[in-house]
Amino acid sequence: MGFGSRQEAGKTVVEIDEPRLDASLATPFRDYIFDLIGQGQKELVVDLSKVEFMDSSGLGAMVAALKQMGGSGAIELANPQKAVHDLFDLTCMDKIFTIHSKVNDALVSLPKSH
Amino acid sequence: MDVLIVEDARDQRKLLTAVVRRLGHTVHQAEDGVQALEVLTEHPDISLVVSDWMMPNMDGISLCEAIRDGRFDRYIYFILLTGKTDRDATVKGLSVGADDFLRKPVDYQELEARLKSGARVISLEQRLEQKNEQLSKTLATVESDLESAAKTQESLLAPPAVIQGVGFDWRFQPSQILGGDMFGYHALDDEHVMFYQLDVAGHGIPSALFSFTLNNLLMDVDANTSMLRKQITEPPYYKVRPSEDVVASLNQRFQTTAETMLYFTMIYGVIHSPTGKVRMTHAGHPETLWIRPSDGELHPVKDTGVPVGMMPGMNWNYSELTLKKGDRLFMYSDGITECENPQGEQYGDERLHCALYDGRHLPMKQMVEGVWSELGAWRDCKAFDDDVTCLVLEYQGG
Repeated sequence: MGFGSRQEAGKTVVEIDEPRLDASLATPFRDYIFDLIGQGQKELVVDLSKVEFMDSSGLGAMVAALKQMGGSGAIELANPQKAVHDLFDLTCMDKIFTIHSKVNDALVSLPKSH
Repeated sequence: MDVLIVEDARDQRKLLTAVVRRLGHTVHQAEDGVQALEVLTEHPDISLVVSDWMMPNMDGISLCEAIRDGRFDRYIYFILLTGKTDRDATVKGLSVGADDFLRKPVDYQELEARLKSGARVISLEQRLEQKNEQLSKTLATVESDLESAAKTQESLLAPPAVIQGVGFDWRFQPSQILGGDMFGYHALDDEHVMFYQLDVAGHGIPSALFSFTLNNLLMDVDANTSMLRKQITEPPYYKVRPSEDVVASLNQRFQTTAETMLYFTMIYGVIHSPTGKVRMTHAGHPETLWIRPSDGELHPVKDTGVPVGMMPGMNWNYSELTLKKGDRLFMYSDGITECENPQGEQYGDERLHCALYDGRHLPMKQMVEGVWSELGAWRDCKAFDDDVTCLVLEYQGG
């Protein structure tokens, strides 16, 4: 349970070991990401493979992380399950984040600039 | 500190009273448990009892039990006097809630020490009680504030209405007392009617307050300040702003910060009432369902765009459709499709589509009622995890 991270190919892969990223976890998740950003991590890849459900608060935390980065880095999302993918479709998250179907795809890609 | 000495032997009682008094305490006396309870009732300042065990009428154990049964609304520290090697007495005393023990014959230095430790516990108890009282008061204030905010929210909701031949009906259920869902509709001029539905991320007070602000802005019909009309130089000196423009300007105005995480999904649309032409924009919001009784079909209306407030400088698309007499538009928040039954299964798009299909020939009010009661049965308990809203409009002909 919880969040973890590892360095790979010059990027920080953030793992969410939670089945639901909702209102109860949005703030802890945001704080976790803010810590990483505070430590100077600028290329984040969020591995969503274990998240079965995400709501608007979870999405809010992702956007908050992006705002905290303030254009000086990148956050990419990888490996969303179907329900999370549907949410990304509904909210056109591909216009805001680069979304990869696999973590490895994110590790070889160049960050998207805004 | 007010101390009560309970002892049937007169000499013992007098002696104990004198010693405790000399330690600077106010002393009350009782001969047995029955009398002790009377004294405790009369003197609410007594917070510590030193009681003998064996007494006529009511012994020390029964007295302790009586004190612990909740008849006093203060904590009373209980010291039981026991025989010299009475192990059973200690066990029994502890089991009925005695705080401490003192062996007879009483060692007065030990008595002083035990009273001091009693005083410490009592003062902790009292501080705790004060804190509790403060908390209860604060909670009561917060609860009543929430209730009045919920009433304000209710008063912001437009009642079901028919405007220029466009009928509106809705159902709304906030997840807690307050919700972040909001909707409304009103005439922009003699031939345009606007409608909107939005869902602020998260729920509770911050989301609700934000939804109030948005509602005020969107329900502003004043020609000079309304953001829904654009002023121009030729008569009639204004133009109804296209839906995608309104959404984009809301986005410029309300950008979320890293701290608040507040953004919203919405539908904004305008219907030209003489022709039934609708222009509408979806911003991260579930698709509108266009119900056409003529061909018996449900048509999803989607022009997906990002939610409002996430990123500056975004653009939105729009959908254009022409409603025929009897056509309906069903708009809803994701609280409906994501509503889970006790087994954790979501209500989902398919069930919603079926419920609407089944109700397509019924009057609008009954169709909405049907969906609502089916959803309630699905949820199978009173409270919803998320705000749940649906808004329906029906074109009754221009």
